[in-house]
Formats: sequence, C-alpha cells, structure tokens
Amino acid sequence: MNIAESVKLHRTYSCLDCGVCTGSCPVSRVLPTFSPRLIVEKALLELGDELLQDKDLWACLTCGRCFERCPTNINFPEFMRDLREQAAKRGLAPTLTHHGMLQTVMEFQAQGAKQKKTDWARQAGKIAATGDVFFFVGCMPYFNVIFRDLGVDSLSIGRNVIKILNAAGIEPVVSDEEACCGHDMLWNGNPEMFKKLAAKNLELIRSSGAKKVVFSCPEGYYTFKNHYPQYFGDLGFEVVHFYDYLEKMIADGALKLANGAKSYTYHDPCRLGRMAKIYDSPRSILKTLAGGEFKEMERNRENAVCCGTTGWANCSSCSRQIQVERLKEAKATGSQILVTACPKCQIHLSCALENLDMKMEIKDLTTLITESMAAPLA
Amino acid sequence: MTRELLGLLGVDPGRLELQWVSSAEGARFAEIVTTFTNRIIELGKSSLGVAA
Repeated sequence: MNIAESVKLHRTYSCLDCGVCTGSCPVSRVLPTFSPRLIVEKALLELGDELLQDKDLWACLTCGRCFERCPTNINFPEFMRDLREQAAKRGLAPTLTHHGMLQTVMEFQAQGAKQKKTDWARQAGKIAATGDVFFFVGCMPYFNVIFRDLGVDSLSIGRNVIKILNAAGIEPVVSDEEACCGHDMLWNGNPEMFKKLAAKNLELIRSSGAKKVVFSCPEGYYTFKNHYPQYFGDLGFEVVHFYDYLEKMIADGALKLANGAKSYTYHDPCRLGRMAKIYDSPRSILKTLAGGEFKEMERNRENAVCCGTTGWANCSSCSRQIQVERLKEAKATGSQILVTACPKCQIHLSCALENLDMKMEIKDLTTLITESMAAPLA
Repeated sequence: MTRELLGLLGVDPGRLELQWVSSAEGARFAEIVTTFTNRIIELGKSSLGVAA
C-alpha cells in the first residue's frame, strides 16, 4: 500500500480541515508541533517522503480521541497504522522502551519458543487443558518480571480472573503455548510479525476446542475482536471481555459481591473504551462494589485520556506529563483509589505516581472484585 | 531478570552466563568460555532453533 491508497481506504480526503483532531489530541496539548490535522494534510498534499520520515509519526498514541470527535469520521488511528507500516518498510522504527525487551519476547514467541509460563495459574486456582472457556492471559507473566520493581504485580490480574471464574464454577483453559496477541507489533508497523503471532494463537485456541475466549486485557480483546477477523476471517469462537462476562454472571446470580468500603474513580483504557465501546460493564461492577462512592473523573468515557504511551515505544516527557495530569485529575475527584482495567495503564500510571508526591492507590478492577469476594456478604 | 524471562520463554537458564573478567585475567577468561561452551554442547540444541 502507498499513501494515496491509504488516503482512499480511510477516506482521509473527506477531511474538513477543522482541526478538531488536533484540538482533541493529548499529545498536541503537550507537544505543539504534533498535529493530526497536519499529518492528514501532508498526506493529501502528497508530501509522502516528508510524512514518512517524520518522527511525529511515532508520537501518536493511537488513542482514538480524534477519531471519536472527527465530524467526517476519519479513522485517524488506523490511518496512522497504515503510515507506520509504510515507514517501517523504509527501515524507520519507533524508539522502543525498556530496551526493547518486550519486542524481543514477542520475536521469540513468533519463532516458536516452547514457553513455560503457567505455574502461577495452577497456584491461583483450577485450570483445564481443554474446555469451553479459554482465558487468554496475554503478556502479564512477562510484565510481572519486568515491572515488579514499580511495585506492580501484573500477574495479580490473571490470578484474580482465575479465582473469580472458579468462584462462578468455571475452570478456564490456560495455555503455556499462548503467544502475544500481536497488538504492539501491529501498531508499530510490523503486520508480518502480528500475523505470525496471531496464526499461532488461532491454531492453539481452535485445537483446545474452546467456544468462548475470555480476555481481561483490553488490547488482546480489541485485537481479537477487530483485527483478527480483518486478517483471518471468521475465528470460529466467541470473543468476550471479562467485564461483560462478569456483569452477566453477577446479574444471573452466579457470583455474589459485597460492597466495597472506599471511594473509587475509574480510568477508561483506550482499547476498552473508545475502541471496543465497553464503558458500562466495568462501571456497573464498580458501582456494585463502591456502595455509592464511585466518582467520575472530569474526562471520562469517550473523553478519557490515554495512560501516556502505547506499544512499548516512545515513552517521553510528553507521556509523563499526560500521566501526571491524569493522576491529578483522579486525585481531584477525592477518591482514595484509582481503578484501572488494563495492565499497561496500571504500569504506566504507577510509574508516574512513584515519582510524584501524591497519596493515591492504583488498583486493577479485578483486585477490587477479588477483595470484595473475600469479604463477608452484605 | 533476563534469566527469569528466558525461563518463561522455555529457554534453559543454564544457557545464560554473566561474568566479569579483567583484561589481566586471560586464563580465567579461557576457563569461563570453555566451561560455558561445554555446558552448551551438553544442553544440545535450543528449543528456539537457529537464530533468525
């Protein structure tokens, strides 16, 4: 694909030049040189080389705030993904964070590493080798090793999901062979690597006989829901987000939760909110827990702001500023706990909080749920 | 940390060795490399196959 074809595919030519995208962009607020509108304009003016060489191409968070508000509905994040693919073919790449460790893990997986990463799951509860429900854990076992120093236990999310599913009488399939969903590779211009990882996962899930695949990670969920069918057609199994699944289990009485005792506010992950349109189930679960002490941040749901960086690339002073502003916003609600629903949001916001003189607890929603299961029923 | 990540990836932790050797310690360097090489030969082919 070339730029002209991307313009056609994403109907970028319907841009009204109104600038709502740049006005909505969390990166533009911090880095005035970065402008989605200018990027679209350059593409329309056929300034291809200038566009693809531009470092700004990798500064976009692909958070979708611009797409949400664009009056002509131009899917800027997907357009950006296309441009990155073309830039990557010219040998350009983003600045990888954490020494590229996570990308190395993904490459090993694509190469067919025989992983051993489910010991924690057997310790957390009952899991099965085959069955109807497959729990797609995602990269959390690796995050757990890399981000332990931040005081973030990413695997607690996985353990919690298994405990909660077990409490509702479900023994999910958890597999050593599961690879990264390919989200980061896809968004950083490497669809070939994405396809390798995705093909492995599809083969694995199909051979497990699972009818339903449950995701707690928003990126995994959105990638399976949106991009897997785009590249592979019908998947042959249902893709469900854990919070939707849980909301239904609570409604059916399969799981009972006690009220929480603290005040909470909730940070919408881009992939779960704007992209997958799941705003309500985490809130409804949170309200069951919060006993009326749930408070929204000023920028919530469609207007929520990204956790500052994506795809383990380009974490900058801009990311930090976005994170600090977000934390202050959470603090301003007067809540004791900032609830996250994505392992990456939790890591990024915790990293920013560590260097900030602010009293605030960051907890994943699954942790709150598990804690309230252990509490005596109200 | 690398050792732990390799473990998750199913790579034998014995395939990783980190040692500090001064430029004055030629004999020690040779010894470490020989021991490590022998260990790798003993472990055989890696599950990852040949590096791309």
